[in-house]
Amino acid sequence: MKAIITLLFSSLVLLASETNHLQVKILETIITNIHLDKNIVVWSDNKNLLAELKKHNVLLTTNICEDATVIILQDKRKLEKECSSKHIFVLNYNSLSHVPQSFGALFWKKGRPNIVLIEPRIKSQLIKISKDLEPYLEERVW
Amino acid sequence: MVKKKELFLFLLLFLLGIFFIYVYDNIKEAKEDIFNRIEKHQVEQISHVLENIEKDILDYSEIKNSKDLLYLFENKSTREDYEHIISLMLTSNVKYAYILYKDERDRFRFLLDASKTDKANFYQKLDVTNSEYRTIYRIKKPQVIKQHDMENLYLTYLYPIIANDTVVGLFSIDITTNIQEIILESIKPLETFFMVLIISLILLMIMTVMQLFHYFVTRKKIFTDPLTRTFNRNYLEEISSMLNLSHYSIAMLDLDKFKVINDTYGHKAGDYILAQAAKVFKKSIRDSDILIRYGGEEFLLLINNRHKDSSTFSICERLKDNLSKQTFVYDTNEIKVNVSIGLHKHPALEKNMQEAIKIADRMLYIAKKNGRNQIVCYDEKSQNDISSSSKNIGFVKQALNENRITCYYQPIYCNNYNTIKNYEALVRIIAKDGSIISPLQFLPQLRHTNIYYKLTQTILLLVFEKFKHNEKHVSININFSDLINPDIENTIISHLGSNPHLASRVTFEILESDEIDNIKLFKEKIKLLHSLKAKVSIDDFGSGYSNFKTIIDIEANYLKIDGSLIKNIDTNDKDFKVVKSIIHFAHQANMQTIAEFVHSKEVFDKLLELDIDYLQGYYIAEPKSTLLEVHELF
Repeated sequence: MKAIITLLFSSLVLLASETNHLQVKILETIITNIHLDKNIVVWSDNKNLLAELKKHNVLLTTNICEDATVIILQDKRKLEKECSSKHIFVLNYNSLSHVPQSFGALFWKKGRPNIVLIEPRIKSQLIKISKDLEPYLEERVW
Repeated sequence: MVKKKELFLFLLLFLLGIFFIYVYDNIKEAKEDIFNRIEKHQVEQISHVLENIEKDILDYSEIKNSKDLLYLFENKSTREDYEHIISLMLTSNVKYAYILYKDERDRFRFLLDASKTDKANFYQKLDVTNSEYRTIYRIKKPQVIKQHDMENLYLTYLYPIIANDTVVGLFSIDITTNIQEIILESIKPLETFFMVLIISLILLMIMTVMQLFHYFVTRKKIFTDPLTRTFNRNYLEEISSMLNLSHYSIAMLDLDKFKVINDTYGHKAGDYILAQAAKVFKKSIRDSDILIRYGGEEFLLLINNRHKDSSTFSICERLKDNLSKQTFVYDTNEIKVNVSIGLHKHPALEKNMQEAIKIADRMLYIAKKNGRNQIVCYDEKSQNDISSSSKNIGFVKQALNENRITCYYQPIYCNNYNTIKNYEALVRIIAKDGSIISPLQFLPQLRHTNIYYKLTQTILLLVFEKFKHNEKHVSININFSDLINPDIENTIISHLGSNPHLASRVTFEILESDEIDNIKLFKEKIKLLHSLKAKVSIDDFGSGYSNFKTIIDIEANYLKIDGSLIKNIDTNDKDFKVVKSIIHFAHQANMQTIAEFVHSKEVFDKLLELDIDYLQGYYIAEPKSTLLEVHELF
């Protein structure tokens, strides 16, 4: 799995113009490697991203935030109250601080894609992750 | 020579294309070289700065291991101080500058980030995939990572912070592509120019190739005679400059009495025979020989003489025999045709191909004159004497202008009455040194030229002048083309019409020839001569196509039997019989007979046996400038 993520990273390096497409691919890989006690249904405030996920048909998606189990959040201001208790994955490192219930983030740092998963939040939200995601675990948000 | 021009143009364009590709490639290489030099320069500059900062860090805090470095930058104010120092390196080209630390789980973390944008937090993780991040810990040397346009990054320069011979952290400097882009932008017009130039050249080359292709496709049509499917004169012109004459013999081929076929069976039949004859020729030659339709029923054959399998003469013989054996059927008519061949075995000895063709043509003329269906080969040895003394048209023209044309007269003897019946006028040129030039040396070259007609006219005037005041009879050689020449006709009419006494003593010896292609006109002209009271003799009877009906119709006064039938009459029984028949025919047709080429007493006696009317030849008398008397004969 790590190899797949590395390959995805490399591909991203080579195909910078297709960042969005690769972002979707990485997100799909991350989400499929986490386990909840219920079905994972994804919703995102980023409509393009949601449409892309839908098109790929790898993850179950929904247009209604309440129906989702995992929320991929681009803009923290768009997080509806009814959905604030869901499992939230953010697309900005600082959002990890601003959205306390968010369990992980995918973001670009110095032009490189980065993944961070906050271990205590994962545990508290009863999220299980596969071994391949372990290198991305962090104790806290720095 | 379209092909040569096109090939030259194609080669030129090809070389130009190669040259421009070379220049374009060099520009590309120069661009890479400039990039590399800039990169090296930038890296060197950054390296020096980083070396100083590294020294400062190590000296300031006595760093011994990575933990010490971590503790150093845990202090916010220290971190901000160094971020400020490092940020001084930032330019439009140096985008990010930061220090990384490798934790116990081998993950890279920011210790400080001097970047103005996308700033990372202290101890924030940075996921890296390039192996150089780990290599630097092993080899302790700076590393350069080419980023291949990742997020506008051109390269990342990693510089190790070494304490106690251990890498405790590293500077990471991300350089953008800005300068390179500027250079690329500057070079682009030049690159575009060369690209357009190369594309234009390629297009031109394609056009040239297409033209060449078109040339080769149409080449066959251009160089092939549509009727005989042999090469035509265009091809001869095309190859003549590159042909090595020493590898070829030249033969001129002419179908015998082809006009008769045309006149008798029509032009379509003539075309058919021509095409069939060409087929026979092609089958009789080898692949390395070149058959060209030279014009009308005339062919030029270039015989490759480098083969040992057969001689050039044997090829000509094979060709002649194969045609003789053939009987062509056209519209239920069986038609046979022969070929006369003039061969020049060593054309390379001549000045050029045209000269060699002229000689082969002369040999063909001799073959025709000697009775057709034969090969006459040019013998350099014997012909050299002739050719060295052979005179060109200019020589004859000059002689005409300087009144150096004269006539010799050979008596035509009447044995029955021991009298001289006639004198045959034979043309000569008096050379400037006073020597006498025989007609053999200048007449063949004059055929069908205007000078020939002028010469005929001059002879007529000379003869008319000489004989107008005496009682002697004279024979003048004339051919059909002379008769239909208006100037010659006027000369004859004006001199003979006004002087019937002279006219009655003039005999026109007309060559029996296949040049007489308009029988009606021929008859008209003979009628004109008769009307002037002049006499008509058919010259060289027996060697031509002997249209008896025409000869009877024109009411010729004399038949002069061809010398080739006479010269061996004493030994050749067949010739004897033919001559006997001719004499019998002539007498039956109310014509008198003349035998020429009487060169010995034996021939003379034999002819007397046959009751010949008149005799002429060296045995009786040679041609002289004066009119010989009977007592001067023999």
